[in-house]
Amino acid sequence: MTARPSTAAVRQIGPATGFFLVFFVVPLAILFAMSFWTQDGFERIPGFDLANYLKATTSRLYPAVLLRTILVGFVTAAIVVPVAYALAWLMRFTFERRGRLILGVVLISLFSGYLVRIYAWRTILGTEGLLNAALLQLGLISEPITALIFSPWAVMIVLVGLLLPLAVLPIWSAMTNVGRDHVEGARDLGATGLRLHRTIILPMVLPGVGTAFALSFVLAAGDFVVPTMVGGAQGGTMVGNLIANEFRGSGADWPMGAALAFVIMGLLVLVHLVTTRLLRVVTRW
Amino acid sequence: MVSAVRPARDDAGSAGGSRAGRIVAALFVAVVLLYLFAPVVVTVLFSLTTSPRLSLPIEGLTLDWYREAFANPIFTIALTNSLLLAAITALVSVGLGVPFAFGLLRLRGRTRGTLVTASLLPAAVPALVLGIALAVFFSGIGVAQGLPNAAIGHILVALPFVILTLNARLETFDLSCLEAARDLGASPWQTFRDITFPLIRPSVLGAALLAAALSLDEFVVTWFNVGNQQTLPVLIWGLLRRGIDPTVNALATVVLLSLTGLVLGAALIARRRA
Repeated sequence: MTARPSTAAVRQIGPATGFFLVFFVVPLAILFAMSFWTQDGFERIPGFDLANYLKATTSRLYPAVLLRTILVGFVTAAIVVPVAYALAWLMRFTFERRGRLILGVVLISLFSGYLVRIYAWRTILGTEGLLNAALLQLGLISEPITALIFSPWAVMIVLVGLLLPLAVLPIWSAMTNVGRDHVEGARDLGATGLRLHRTIILPMVLPGVGTAFALSFVLAAGDFVVPTMVGGAQGGTMVGNLIANEFRGSGADWPMGAALAFVIMGLLVLVHLVTTRLLRVVTRW
Repeated sequence: MVSAVRPARDDAGSAGGSRAGRIVAALFVAVVLLYLFAPVVVTVLFSLTTSPRLSLPIEGLTLDWYREAFANPIFTIALTNSLLLAAITALVSVGLGVPFAFGLLRLRGRTRGTLVTASLLPAAVPALVLGIALAVFFSGIGVAQGLPNAAIGHILVALPFVILTLNARLETFDLSCLEAARDLGASPWQTFRDITFPLIRPSVLGAALLAAALSLDEFVVTWFNVGNQQTLPVLIWGLLRRGIDPTVNALATVVLLSLTGLVLGAALIARRRA
């Protein structure tokens, strides 16, 4: 029982672990090493130089874009998570049997084409788009709202739609551990409304909520397709655009792009740690 | 009697057990679903309308955009490549994921939890970072960009989800029936063919379809690694960047239908098992 299963386990786990090591861990390590290189014209010079990190934090362009990226990611997650929480709660305790069907429908939207959904929002939000046309026809506005598209708002509107189904999953799976008897018991003891959620339900599903927040925050802040399509050149650029340009743009500078990638990931981890700490304090209140 | 049971259920039932509460809840869900599906509806609708500019009211219906999209020779290449990548991704990620999930069953709780979390890490890193890291890696070892690189990227994206679903389903799998088979003299291959595989087939098929769907929709990692080859999302991206082209909506609808088919298939298989 002792020796054979463990070698069998290693043999079974080995291939996938090897794949992750070679194509995930090693590439990230190389990318990290490259973030300390420098670039002279078209030539990359290996070495250990903090120049890219200094540029990322002190130049005129980068800090502003990094800050906007964090803000957009944070606000997106702060919208997505409460809505996902409410959805999960309603699906579990209000709609019961039909709840699973609703969950299925929500998840299908996750697989309705990433690029397509982003592009379609351009048709909806554009200056001559469907939303403006409808509002004009209804007489609610006299001129098209131009801020609907090519702004950080547009980026957030689209990201919320993309990430909501993803955020529902961990909260829903945490919510399945909450029993009807928990809710009944809490109600009998006088915890109703917001208090029921803050003191009983939220602490029970906190790991799921944390995962949902981290996932939406990181994926929102790390997206470059949404800001490219609906963010516009001026106010909507996010760090993903800058990183993508350093890798596929004309004046590609891989070391700089690598440094930006690690700066944004570091900032995301930092903000996330602070947020979960805060969330824990608030729910224990 | 009935009335004595009902109120208790309703009372414990929900955010607002009242009728008004249910209506507000239903409205909320309806608004969320509208928000999620508005882009989908718009895409399908405009793939069928005559006006090349997207405008209301709709003037007439046509299948011309589909004809035009299918007539584009690049479309056939992109479709073939996308299907090839989806098939490879499904096969390889299941081939790696199934043994991994079984191996986990033999491990103690702590090690197991750590390994599951570690295997999910690629899904928690933005696709952009996965894409550039792979691009740097391949360029470092002197491999030119192309479809094989994209395939590796797709497997990297799909594998965490395959492991996640398989791990959840295998939790109820009883390893002792494999031991019983071996005690009765079955070879490892016989055990796998006659006992293990029939038992896990639905889960594996579901995971494979999920992997294929993830691959078919993958754009970001592909874009940094595929070089000048085409896949459907890469083709759509190219058309989008060139300006308004109504064939995009037709292409998008094709992708949409394939994805929905794969995911519904996976859901049905999972359901039949349960």
